[in-house]
Amino acid sequence: MTNSSFDRKRGERGRVWRDLVIAYLFMLPMLVVKILFTFWPIIFGTALAFATVNIGRGFSLEWVGLKNFEELFGFGAFAGRGPDRDFWYGLTNSLKYILVVPVIQILSIALAMLVNRTIPLIGLFRTAFYVPVVTSFAVVGLMWQWMYDQYGPINFMLTSLGLMDAKNPTNLLNNPVIALWAIMFVTLWKGLGYYMVLYLAGLQNIDRSLEEAAVIDGANRWEVFWNITIPGLKPTILVCSLLSTISAIKVFEEIYTMTRGGPAGSTFTAMFFIYDKSFGDYRFGYAAAAGLVVAVVSIIFAAINFRLTRGNQNA
Amino acid sequence: MLNETALSEAATLRQKRRTRKLLENIGVYTLLILVAAISIYPFLWTIRTSFSTSGGIFEFPPSLIPIEPSLKNYITVTQIVPLLRQLWNSLVICFFGVLGSVLVAALGAYPLAKMKFWGRDIIFYALIATLVLPNEAGLIVNFITVSRLQLLTTEIGQIAAIILPAFGSVANVFLMRQAYLGIPSELLEAARIDGASELSIWWKIMLPLTMPTIAAVSILQFVAFWNSFLWPIIVMRDRNLYPLSAGMLDLAGSFSTNTRAISAGAVLMMIPILIVFLFFQRYFMRGLEGAVKG
Repeated sequence: MTNSSFDRKRGERGRVWRDLVIAYLFMLPMLVVKILFTFWPIIFGTALAFATVNIGRGFSLEWVGLKNFEELFGFGAFAGRGPDRDFWYGLTNSLKYILVVPVIQILSIALAMLVNRTIPLIGLFRTAFYVPVVTSFAVVGLMWQWMYDQYGPINFMLTSLGLMDAKNPTNLLNNPVIALWAIMFVTLWKGLGYYMVLYLAGLQNIDRSLEEAAVIDGANRWEVFWNITIPGLKPTILVCSLLSTISAIKVFEEIYTMTRGGPAGSTFTAMFFIYDKSFGDYRFGYAAAAGLVVAVVSIIFAAINFRLTRGNQNA
Repeated sequence: MLNETALSEAATLRQKRRTRKLLENIGVYTLLILVAAISIYPFLWTIRTSFSTSGGIFEFPPSLIPIEPSLKNYITVTQIVPLLRQLWNSLVICFFGVLGSVLVAALGAYPLAKMKFWGRDIIFYALIATLVLPNEAGLIVNFITVSRLQLLTTEIGQIAAIILPAFGSVANVFLMRQAYLGIPSELLEAARIDGASELSIWWKIMLPLTMPTIAAVSILQFVAFWNSFLWPIIVMRDRNLYPLSAGMLDLAGSFSTNTRAISAGAVLMMIPILIVFLFFQRYFMRGLEGAVKG
């Protein structure tokens, strides 16, 4: 072995080491923040589910095994008490909330197709549809409380249509049967523009020559829609319905800014339960256990959603 | 003769097509106006309430014209809550939040896109995993973390506690990485042969060439910081430190009967975000599309 080739080898190895150090220095801030505020919560959050947290003494943990889960499900030490009704009621509402997903996806695809044309003022309309998306729920929640008020615009519309007693209109958010549906409408109202933009991008990625060829071959609009547009949108539909399903199960801000779980607990959701247990009752361990159950449920629904939207692709 | 009938037939056909096109456009605009009305109405209603000074706040039939319009409510709302202070807090949080987020993502994405080193794929897939791994207890653990870091005892600490967790946004990193991948590697190789350090390549070549993406990341983060209220409410003890969004909820909770003043506050909170959004709409949309694709 000659000296020069030895030097070269050493130089190469030196370069590999130098690059490694430089690369990790570049990523250092990202990795620190990521580990501290994303990976650690996943690990520690799971551990918390098996503990009780003493807030007063610097968040010291006391391991309690399965006790938190026993209380949630109503077995073991809590066998006589039955499962935690608030939690299961909240989880049921969170799952009910998934009904928003197909509605919001179908409407936003329709809206995207509506705005996917070059006609005067179309940009203005797209902006108008997008304004609710960039508005904070802090404002959206207030605005819709006023919209739903006893003497607000929604009730005016309902009484005009004869759907509500004009002499004694009631606030929809105060009605235990209707409140959750009224909140779902707000989610739909706020989210429509967001998915519209994503579907619009999807539509514009579809090769136009495909559609033109189909039209020349005599396909009507409906056939073009089903055989070219929808298959072309498949990847977008997959991503959007997944996002939408996960955020439906985790619905929280709507509830927090409009009803706080009321009336009579009728709009309690799983995430609101977790919030209420942790920052209302300061039972961090119990809340983390509930969080773990919600996590498992949302993984199951994400998988179902994945199968459903992918299954169509092969058909 | 024959030619003439053919011509007139073609004319009627064209006429028919034009009529159909016209009808279609009328249909399209009707639907557009309807959906736009539903999207915008709550905002108009709020603006109207914020300028009204008398009459029932909720009226049958609801009219969008303010009753005895004046700016009184806007003055009232600045008197009952430290609104200007909260506006300043929001701006501080947004400024440092955006600056930090962009810096962390722009630095972190560079080796992932343009360098070869041990562990690159592991880190990349770990970042993707955080998008799917459920993190329901995130709020609880982050609260414990910032408390243990002693951040909640000082003003600067509390602001740091608000913005730090958002610095790790994976969407930002993916957007930046995507932008870097679009820059030809030959450019970097040439600079490396000329003896440029990685830091100066990043600063002098990569950043100037990815300005549109940096704008997109900034605008997405600005909107996110401006709008977030839950984390500030959890972390901050003093309402003088609240950003506007948290202040709005606080205001609505404490003065729920003064709807006109709250409306004025809501309008004040919306104005900056709408201005920013309208000016940078193009970047915002691009960022949104890119984040999902990544």
